[in-house]
Amino acid sequence: MEQIVFGIGITALTGALATIAGSAEDTESNIGSQGDPNSQVQLAPQMGFVHRIFNKAIAGEPPAYGLWCALGAGLAWAFMAMQVNAVLAIVIGCVLAVLVQGVYATTAYLGRTASLAKFGQPVYVDVLKSMTSVTMAHAFIAIFCVVTLCHLINGALGHPFPLPLLGLIWGIALGAAGSATGNPYYGKERQYQNQKFGAGVPISASGNIVRYAEAGERNSLDNGWFTAKIGGSASGVCFGLIVFLELWRTILFEKVSAGWGAIVVGILMILIFTVADRYIEVWARKNYGPYTEAKEASS
Amino acid sequence: MSVKIEVIEGGIPHQKIMIGGLVSTLVCLYLTYLNVLTKTEMFAFFGGLAMITALIWGSHTIKVLCSYGIGTGVPSAGMIAFGSGVIAMLLATKFAPVMGIPTAPIVALVLAAVIGFILGYISNNILNMKIPAMVQALTEMAVVGALSLMGFAALITGGFSFAGLTPIKIVVTSQGLVPTSQYSFLGGGLIAVAFLLGAIAIQHPFNACLGPGWKQDRMLMLTAECGFLSMIVAAFMSFAFISTGSAMISLLVAILGWAYTYNQYICLSKRDAASWLDAKPIPEMEGH
Amino acid sequence: MSAVAAKPQAGGAMNPTAMAVGVVMLVIILALCWYVSPGAGLMALVGVIIGGVLIGFGTHFVPVGGAPAAMGQAPGIATGVAMLAAGAGLAGLFGGAWAAEQGLVIATLTGGVGGGLMMAITCMMVNFVYVFGMGIPAASGKVANDPITGDSQKEFKSQGTEGHGLPFVSFVGGVIGGFLGGAGGTLIYYQLLKLYEATLPTMIGVPLVQVMPIAIAAAGMFAVGLFLVNAVLTAYNITGTIEGPHDPKFKRWPRAIVASAVASALCGLVAILIVVPM
Repeated sequence: MEQIVFGIGITALTGALATIAGSAEDTESNIGSQGDPNSQVQLAPQMGFVHRIFNKAIAGEPPAYGLWCALGAGLAWAFMAMQVNAVLAIVIGCVLAVLVQGVYATTAYLGRTASLAKFGQPVYVDVLKSMTSVTMAHAFIAIFCVVTLCHLINGALGHPFPLPLLGLIWGIALGAAGSATGNPYYGKERQYQNQKFGAGVPISASGNIVRYAEAGERNSLDNGWFTAKIGGSASGVCFGLIVFLELWRTILFEKVSAGWGAIVVGILMILIFTVADRYIEVWARKNYGPYTEAKEASS
Repeated sequence: MSVKIEVIEGGIPHQKIMIGGLVSTLVCLYLTYLNVLTKTEMFAFFGGLAMITALIWGSHTIKVLCSYGIGTGVPSAGMIAFGSGVIAMLLATKFAPVMGIPTAPIVALVLAAVIGFILGYISNNILNMKIPAMVQALTEMAVVGALSLMGFAALITGGFSFAGLTPIKIVVTSQGLVPTSQYSFLGGGLIAVAFLLGAIAIQHPFNACLGPGWKQDRMLMLTAECGFLSMIVAAFMSFAFISTGSAMISLLVAILGWAYTYNQYICLSKRDAASWLDAKPIPEMEGH
Repeated sequence: MSAVAAKPQAGGAMNPTAMAVGVVMLVIILALCWYVSPGAGLMALVGVIIGGVLIGFGTHFVPVGGAPAAMGQAPGIATGVAMLAAGAGLAGLFGGAWAAEQGLVIATLTGGVGGGLMMAITCMMVNFVYVFGMGIPAASGKVANDPITGDSQKEFKSQGTEGHGLPFVSFVGGVIGGFLGGAGGTLIYYQLLKLYEATLPTMIGVPLVQVMPIAIAAAGMFAVGLFLVNAVLTAYNITGTIEGPHDPKFKRWPRAIVASAVASALCGLVAILIVVPM
């Protein structure tokens, strides 16, 4: 019984860490403009829309976060193998990982922007200086939370995988969840703010991203505030639910019916989320209504 | 609306880079074998240099492959390279030296080439991608993946034998002194870190320098910079395995190499950029 | 300057000769494995092949829209297909690895449910953001009516786009894809783990408890590697984006089955040769 209570306590803690990590990850990838929306930042100068937005093209978020988290976990593991205190090891490991992330961010911006010289897109050194430290700060939060939750899963809950491998797994999962949830919000709502709300961006408008905004020229730093409105929290809840429910159903039900309990509970959870998704979809159809009349709609 | 990838002519031909990269990687890997001959771990840093030369070769291969517009992203190429390379590398480490000469790097080369060739055949013919450079590119990338992972292993543990990657150490636990392989390169899962370090480092240079203004020397300098950066963190991890002095040598070589290549990369970017502005507004372009 | 030698469209065409060659290669690899290690090795290889095929096939179900999806121009999730599938499958592998000592069936199903659960949560949150954060309902661009719910799609597609969000069939596809991917990855892991547990102690000459970390880490690393190889091959098959099981591109799955089988067999054979005494 105590074992289960301890397990639930750790699970709750990892769930909270995962939520913070998801939120920080989405904020960081929006400030740096990473992932699929970044194709617009790349495209804009080619269509004549020169901008002052950070162009952080480091693969997509899943592999990138897989690397930062695995690296942080690997370094933490190495320091712990040298008998360094666990907390200190994790902190130092994450600091080193975030330094690597910062360097990759700068080289990505310089590389992509220099290759757009033909279209007159300048390299803004002040954008480089101000954005890099901010993305590193957010990334540190995300990486630290993931490495800590991996350490808890390995150390306190007894998962067989070693720490670096857990870091890889949860890093990729974090990137996938955060990217899936946060990318359309950044891509459509922020980059194409001037398009009609409540509809997708028409293909004819590609490249015409917002470059002049609230206070003069749009700055990627403000994407942090913007993400905090809903995208960041949604990503946080998404990843937090993933980690928490996965651990929760295992801790509580793995001993029930020799393992079948956890499977049944998992399937029940999937059904609950299916119902929730269906509800959201139907709500949208009813409340927002169609764009055109059903009969007149052309493909 | 995806980024247009275009072929740029000029620069060192790919064949030269391939041969140069292959030869230097193998030479550096064999130089790490000096560790065994001299019974020290001082030459572990050659493993890092092997990794860097392999990555330089590999990033150019990715550039050749992705110039054909494969319809999916650049990072996937890095993943498939290292996904196939890691399996080849681990099998190759099992092969013991023959007459005092280590065979593992050559076995890794041959094995990875076979795997890469078959994967290339699958992609081109079964999956109907029909890209001229696909088979050769995937073969090269699998070899690059296997050899750079071997370089990582040599850098972190001092050698590339299977026994060296999986030593049993006695550790103090709550049950007293317990022998375990938990603190080995393989048992501790550090191979996962090396895997991702290499996979991101191999595709980042082409991905980051993508665009109409792509220049070969800038991309290759960026590859060297990514390689040295990976070597820095790998050197930090090597402190847990090899003697402090040897790890310090690796760290020093890595930091010096990184500082130089990073500085060079910034100079090359300055050379190529349309303009290098600090706190200036968006320039006026006609019509926008 | 344009892409070199505009390559002929990959299309959905199947290449019967190549498929036959693929099947022949598969048989050769199986025979090689039977030769060097009949019994445990061959069983492990069969498990790896099935696991790889599940991953390759499952990734076809996952709705991926790529860069256009990030702007609300195409339905699907705005991430790369290989990495999204890898994310879901690895989350499943995580759960499956934990249940490994409870037997093959439990472990595989647990892994599958883990992957499916991650995709269910992610897909639901994607729709959540589209509907409540952006005010955009879900609509498919490839079919007039949702195959599962019968909802008409055309009038909910905004002008100038190919659709957006995750219609219900895409959601279900995502969950199925996550389930198959997680199950496949766990199957690979489980088979290799059991093989290594049986052979590593004799190979290195120490009791099992000392080499468990190596067995687990090696099996886990191979599972990750094979996962990525199979997912990338599927990405090549569908050329980057797919709306889900209702997408016409889905009909290309036979090619991916053969491709995944051969690739997994090859990599699995190499993974098995590690513990075969030479």
